[in-house]
Amino acid sequence: MFGFRLAKRDQALPGGQVLAFGIGLIVALAFGAVLLVVAGHSPVEIYLKMADAAFGSPQAWSTTLTQAVPLGLAGLAVAVAGSMGLWNIGAEGQIIAGAIAGSWVARLGPDLPGPMLITLMLIGAAIGGGILALGPAIARAHLGVNEIITTLMLNEIALRTVRYLVNGPWKDPTSIGFPVAPELPEQAALPTLFERADISVLIAAAVLIVFGFYAARSKWGFELRIAGSSEKAAEYVGISLKRKILTVLVLSGAIAGLVGGLRLGATDRIVEGVAEGWGFAGIIVAALALMRPSGVAAVAIAFGALRVGGVAIKGQGVPASIAEIIQALVLLGALGAAVFTTYRIVGPKSYSGGDATSRDTSEVTS
Amino acid sequence: MIIAGILGDLQVLLTDTGMWVNLLEFGILLYLAALGEVIAEKAGVLNLGVEGMMAVGAMTGYWAGIQTGSPWAAAVIAALAVAIFAMVHGVVSVVMGADQVVSGLALTILGLGLAAFLGTDLVSQPAGAKFANLSLGQLSEIPGVGPTLFSMDGMGWVALALGLITWFVLNRTRAGLNLRAVGESAATADAAGTPVVATRLVAVGIGGAFAGLAGAYLTLKVTPSWNESIVGGLGWIAVALVIFGAWRPGRVLIGALLFGGLIAVGPRFQTRRCNGDEITNCITTEINPIVVSMLPYALTIVVLVLLSIRSRNRPSLAPAAIGQAYRREER
Repeated sequence: MFGFRLAKRDQALPGGQVLAFGIGLIVALAFGAVLLVVAGHSPVEIYLKMADAAFGSPQAWSTTLTQAVPLGLAGLAVAVAGSMGLWNIGAEGQIIAGAIAGSWVARLGPDLPGPMLITLMLIGAAIGGGILALGPAIARAHLGVNEIITTLMLNEIALRTVRYLVNGPWKDPTSIGFPVAPELPEQAALPTLFERADISVLIAAAVLIVFGFYAARSKWGFELRIAGSSEKAAEYVGISLKRKILTVLVLSGAIAGLVGGLRLGATDRIVEGVAEGWGFAGIIVAALALMRPSGVAAVAIAFGALRVGGVAIKGQGVPASIAEIIQALVLLGALGAAVFTTYRIVGPKSYSGGDATSRDTSEVTS
Repeated sequence: MIIAGILGDLQVLLTDTGMWVNLLEFGILLYLAALGEVIAEKAGVLNLGVEGMMAVGAMTGYWAGIQTGSPWAAAVIAALAVAIFAMVHGVVSVVMGADQVVSGLALTILGLGLAAFLGTDLVSQPAGAKFANLSLGQLSEIPGVGPTLFSMDGMGWVALALGLITWFVLNRTRAGLNLRAVGESAATADAAGTPVVATRLVAVGIGGAFAGLAGAYLTLKVTPSWNESIVGGLGWIAVALVIFGAWRPGRVLIGALLFGGLIAVGPRFQTRRCNGDEITNCITTEINPIVVSMLPYALTIVVLVLLSIRSRNRPSLAPAAIGQAYRREER
């Protein structure tokens, strides 16, 4: 329309993803500011309050890290599948499955000593998440069924399963009317690390670091990346795609399931909203981190801060949904901006130089 | 004995006018949203933002209903608002070429957040407008279909008309052929002179408008009230319906009525429902409604698996270019 168009860069812009994230953040905060002004608040004041609640003190840091744990692990779950080009949209449901399995373990052995009970609960949770991912994994590996839709549908089924449990068989008889399960045994609570953070921060960090190194250094991780970049290449060098798809999706589900187990420590009991959007947020985190474990940790902390800030300003009469809005906008802004890491804008006249690169310069938008 | 019980229940259920009315309401709602998704997907754009778009439509429609007092004005406003809102997905995934799955999910999260944020004050307010049942005179007095099909509100007829128009445009016009070509092979369509980006943007916009209508119908007829979790998975059912209906407006309608029926039937097994006061006219089987509410999602998985097995030896029913961004210099 104005003669501007996109031309492919010879090389991807170095540090482009960080730049894209920054642009996304600016877009999101600017749009959030407009919303806040419309709702009659001072954006600067609200944003400063959010930052203070998230980073202003050791206690603030402890809550931010606590929120970063499910984001980071859910992000990792999505990223594990994503590094092979698979989409696990079912982290939300796998978190619920993990929480169900974890509380089932706690119901079986309420008198076990704390460390043992917690360990068993977390293992159970991981298995629970893995089991929910198993169906889509088999369907994808052996029948070629699109894993996006199957995992998506299983979210809703998992949500209704936990709703059924807390309204029916697992309903706490002493809770009059409220659909909640009985509280977990006291020793199932995770030990405190500092201030308000419990050891789930250490567990998440350990999982991220171990997986990050393993994926980067091991043959398994190498094969994963090959399979992710080209199925044909993978088959050519003798990688069994079917087995890779199975293990990767089930592992992805298990990591998401672990989130469910860890969240039980925070909520004391299983409730319908145990996953509260962590699984979907994990998709945003993984996408922004370009499926890399190190990036997942950084984005998780940033988004953890955003959620803490969002809750802190509730008292000011600002709906906490502002945090979700900003998260989604960061992603959309970054997705849009990421195009400039591989493309550059060419002005109306500058292509007429007749150089070699102008040959593959063609119009994308007009 | 058991068979007699089930047959008896079935008879009670099928003669329950309320059940049929609910079936039509949910069917209309799901059909509108799914039809929009069919159009977007036929053009090669998967939009997983339906849940969020419906939330925005539901909130906007409810607000506009209070402002204007007219359900039709409110529905049109909601449709326009969501068409514009859907352009976020359009710009990010079609123009910028970002991953459609991520962009669509971000649209859902954004939509749910925006609707919750902007609709905070609407939660406590009563509906300003509602779709009223449309009496078709003599037709509405026919036993059976009279009080149900021939008494449904205008949006039901609009949905059916939109379905017919969509089928006609997609399959019998040049514009529809171009749209399908873009969804099957963007590069080929481009070479033939069809503007790929513009076509996909229009498809995403129409898909958004339809989701907006569905959302408005939810808050102006089905519930009729607003709260932030009101869509509650209906958008995902709409996405599922597109697959269930194999991307065909007619089959999607059948699926919408089937899934609408499952939603309508669910609560009726919860307690002993009786038609009238006759004790003999009651449902005896008790099924938890939460279990019934899982069925649309479970059925979709089954259909998806069957479709995959079927398409092993035959071409897939899905548009071939779905999910693929198109950049001319990368073809």
